[in-house]
Amino acid sequence: MIVVNVLHRPIRTVVSVLAVAIEVTMVLIVVGLTTGLLNDAARRTQGIGADVVVQPSGASFMFSLSSAPVPVKVGDRLAEIPHVLAVAPVLFQSDLSTHGIGVIFGIDMASWNRVSGGFVYLSGESFRGPMDVLVDDWYAKANHLKVGSTLSLLSQNFHVCGIVEHGKGSRLFIPLSTAQELSSSHDKASIFFVKCTDPGYTDDVEAAIQRLLPGWEIHSMQQFMSMMTSNNLPALDTFIDAMIGLAVSIGFLVIFLSMYTTITERTREIGILKSLGASKGYILGIILKEASLLGAVGIIAGYIGAALVRKVLVGSFPTLYVESMSAGWAAKAAILALLGALIGAFYPALRAARLDPVDALAYE
Amino acid sequence: MEPIIRTEDLKKLYRIGKLDVPALRGVNLIVEEGEFLAIVGPSGCGKSTLLHILGGLTGPTSGRVLVDGNDFRAMNDADRTRFRRHKIGFVFQRFNLLPTLTARDNIELAQSIQGNGFNPRRFAQVTEMLGIAAKLNHRPYALSGGEQQRVAIARAVICEPKILLADEPTGNLDTENSQLVLNMLRTLNRSFRQTILMITHNPEAAAVADRIIRMRDGRVVSA
Repeated sequence: MIVVNVLHRPIRTVVSVLAVAIEVTMVLIVVGLTTGLLNDAARRTQGIGADVVVQPSGASFMFSLSSAPVPVKVGDRLAEIPHVLAVAPVLFQSDLSTHGIGVIFGIDMASWNRVSGGFVYLSGESFRGPMDVLVDDWYAKANHLKVGSTLSLLSQNFHVCGIVEHGKGSRLFIPLSTAQELSSSHDKASIFFVKCTDPGYTDDVEAAIQRLLPGWEIHSMQQFMSMMTSNNLPALDTFIDAMIGLAVSIGFLVIFLSMYTTITERTREIGILKSLGASKGYILGIILKEASLLGAVGIIAGYIGAALVRKVLVGSFPTLYVESMSAGWAAKAAILALLGALIGAFYPALRAARLDPVDALAYE
Repeated sequence: MEPIIRTEDLKKLYRIGKLDVPALRGVNLIVEEGEFLAIVGPSGCGKSTLLHILGGLTGPTSGRVLVDGNDFRAMNDADRTRFRRHKIGFVFQRFNLLPTLTARDNIELAQSIQGNGFNPRRFAQVTEMLGIAAKLNHRPYALSGGEQQRVAIARAVICEPKILLADEPTGNLDTENSQLVLNMLRTLNRSFRQTILMITHNPEAAAVADRIIRMRDGRVVSA
């Protein structure tokens, strides 16, 4: 009876299923995008190969939100600490018009190579001039760049000197001196990546830096990675919650309207069921089962929708990392969608259960 | 032996706007088990209201109703629903089949609501007797009026109710189908001692019953 009723009203069924599917797709894509953004940033930061990360006080683990730069000479003092193998100062530059919330790393190639082990060049070579830029392979693919191309960044024309394998901090690298020049931050750096002679000395080196630079943000790479969650990013959790709330509201409202109109349309049928002795619980059960069925089909359609949207996004924006659907979030999205559908159907179901049988039977 | 239906000074008022409109003004009625009773009277005389009260679809305003030993005054809505599920079968003028279900599903629905499970023997017996065994996979729109009404009768009696309440069962049928339906009701009454109360405007239909009672202005005027 439930399946027959759902199939008997195809337009209503399609609209309801679509609403739930959009709800589930929205939840999974928003979560996939935000966690993808964080996980991608975390992977690339870890890929630098440093053991300790040193930032001035008030800096964020999101590099694009970093605070004012500090003298690059701090790096010389860090290099003197026992068990420190190398220190790579980096000055961040943001170019929101072309890179979203990504950042350009201004690097000193020699120290960067000592900390990171150097880039893997897929084509081209290292900086030769101040207006050279290195791009990673994903960025090159997304922007159709090759060695020798001109890239407009920070209101300047840069020359692409090399394409490197992705996964080391940023997708764009320019010489440190150029970054300093363009931001009028002479002899300044935003962050110092510290490499120890052996990873076993990380705690000792971290403690020594804390003594040297009290009040600074000093973290082992492990700690730094653990901070890269949505909980530590201002307003990100609120944004996710707001988007989930919006998605659930869509599902709830459409199911509510769908069930409400269904009840009006089926008043006489409900009267017939009541004349056969159907209890309030039986009527309530029928409506809620119908809503659950619409919800379940919508959830499956939502999973398919999320996979398709992810595929389109990744295909259209190669530098955009959208995390694939996790079992945990798939379950959460399903529970939210099902709850939304059941709550949306509850009032119409209750209204149906409370219909007077004589009035319902007389309904035209 | 206690009658299966007994009403004493049964009254029902409907509130329409600020007015109380009396539908029943003190109905006293006794129906014995196995009796086939026809209720006749002009429109608005309270026939359907009486049937709705006896079937537990609505409660009386005052007076006493005893059906199969159950006093409706002591029963709430849920009790009356339970009572209806097990003891009452309804047949309506407009058939009232669920349009999305096949004839078979419409009949089985009554068993499903009753909760005693599907009884294939009873199902076969009833559908054979009503001559609808070949039409069970048809939806209502694919059945004639007479066939729809026979499916509705099957649905009403499939759970072996104590009382069958029929509200103008031939009102939407032509003469041939009316006669067929009346014969079915007569057969049910004779073969299974099914107690039947049938409202009708049609004197020929009423003549099929064992007894005819006439109503006017909310009262039984002759029994």
